[in-house]
Amino acid sequence: MKQIVAVGDMKVGTNGDILVTHALGSCLGLIIYDPEAKVGGMLHAMLPLSKINPQKAEANPYMFVDKGVPLLFKAVYGLGGQKQRMVVKAAGCGSPLGKNAMFKIGERNYTVLKKLLWKNSIILEAEDIGGTASRTVSLDLSTGQTLVKIREESKVL
Amino acid sequence: MTRSPKKKIAREIASFPSIPQAAAKILAMLDNPNTSAEEIGAVLRYDAGLTANILKLTNSSYFGLPSKVASVRQALVLLGWKKLAHLIMTACVSAVMDKAVPGYGLPMGELWRHSIAVSVVAEGLAKELEMTGVDEIFTAALLHDVGKLVLGAFIKAETDSVDATADRGISFEKVEREVFGTDHAEIGARILQNWSFPEQIISAVRWHHEPDGAPVSNPLIDIVHVANVLCLMIGMGVGREGLQYHLSDGAVQRIGLKEGQLEWVAANAVSWVEEILLSFATQFE
Ligand SMILES: [Fe+2]
Ligand SMILES: [Fe+2]
Repeated sequence: MKQIVAVGDMKVGTNGDILVTHALGSCLGLIIYDPEAKVGGMLHAMLPLSKINPQKAEANPYMFVDKGVPLLFKAVYGLGGQKQRMVVKAAGCGSPLGKNAMFKIGERNYTVLKKLLWKNSIILEAEDIGGTASRTVSLDLSTGQTLVKIREESKVL
Repeated sequence: MTRSPKKKIAREIASFPSIPQAAAKILAMLDNPNTSAEEIGAVLRYDAGLTANILKLTNSSYFGLPSKVASVRQALVLLGWKKLAHLIMTACVSAVMDKAVPGYGLPMGELWRHSIAVSVVAEGLAKELEMTGVDEIFTAALLHDVGKLVLGAFIKAETDSVDATADRGISFEKVEREVFGTDHAEIGARILQNWSFPEQIISAVRWHHEPDGAPVSNPLIDIVHVANVLCLMIGMGVGREGLQYHLSDGAVQRIGLKEGQLEWVAANAVSWVEEILLSFATQFE
């Protein structure tokens, strides 16, 4: 079944499912997949740290990279995924033009992700990060194929 | 570009639809805090569909009213004049803005979602910054991209040269100017001029991508600018040009925005927008 991952949401699936997220701007799209169990998931997180809005983080942890990433892994483990087999890819984290640091939310999202992965000894296998593009990302859970689409062009991540 | 499209664009601007008469009248009444239910009723009298839409919006969970509102008079009492006026504007503007925009890669509903998003984010930022005297911000934000409805078809026809120019990495309104001799902000301002909108709203639309270029700076311009970029970043109505717009440092400094305020508003934006759009979705059952 095809499932759409909205902004500030997460979806997991098994063999036969396809996960898609649209309009990744400065948000982080994180894709994880266990090729042996053929299970995986996708997160579309908007902001780096949940402490900025604890109330929101309580109601919707997937909005934040620091809360959403661990929950994504947990959910896929729950479907039989295993950490040592997990293939992890990231997309998004773009920024508008200009030098204003406050609006580098995309860069901060990426930094928090990298720290989390590093702490847990998880390698980022592939990434399509930064720039001004709006990206659509899909994950086919029968093959693990991850596609990133910018404008009308798709490429394999 | 084969020939200068400016004449063709000018013709499109001249024949662009007007918005319901009620909108201009409500705008003229915006400054009067003592506006009565009778006066509002007189404006809405001849448009039953509009009144129905206004009541549906009033009952959206965005406004969090305790009981179901059944009349404009009741809405005025519960919301106050300013909020009700924004709501009437939203209902009026949707007739014009709720369209697909080819060229910008915005399918049906996305420009409208973006317009609502920039409006609630602009309002949210103004509130966080404790700004006063910016009542027109909601309407300015709602209409900031109206020019895309004209320029979209031209972009569609010139996709290759637009893409080639955009690939140089310059801000997208500059891409538009280079290819077409004008941009969607300028076109939008001209449409609003034809509608006889207030000067402040016209200038906020005109300079929403280049707030530092405005002859007179104004918090209205700066907030719409910042709110627009934020909404693109979080994917609310972002088109095929993506985030390829320059964010003005000057605008951020002039309004005194802090990182915490920006992210707090961003975190709330999605649910604010969904609440408003949900009430709209029930209109066409
Ligand atoms: Fe714009
Ligand atoms: Fe916009």
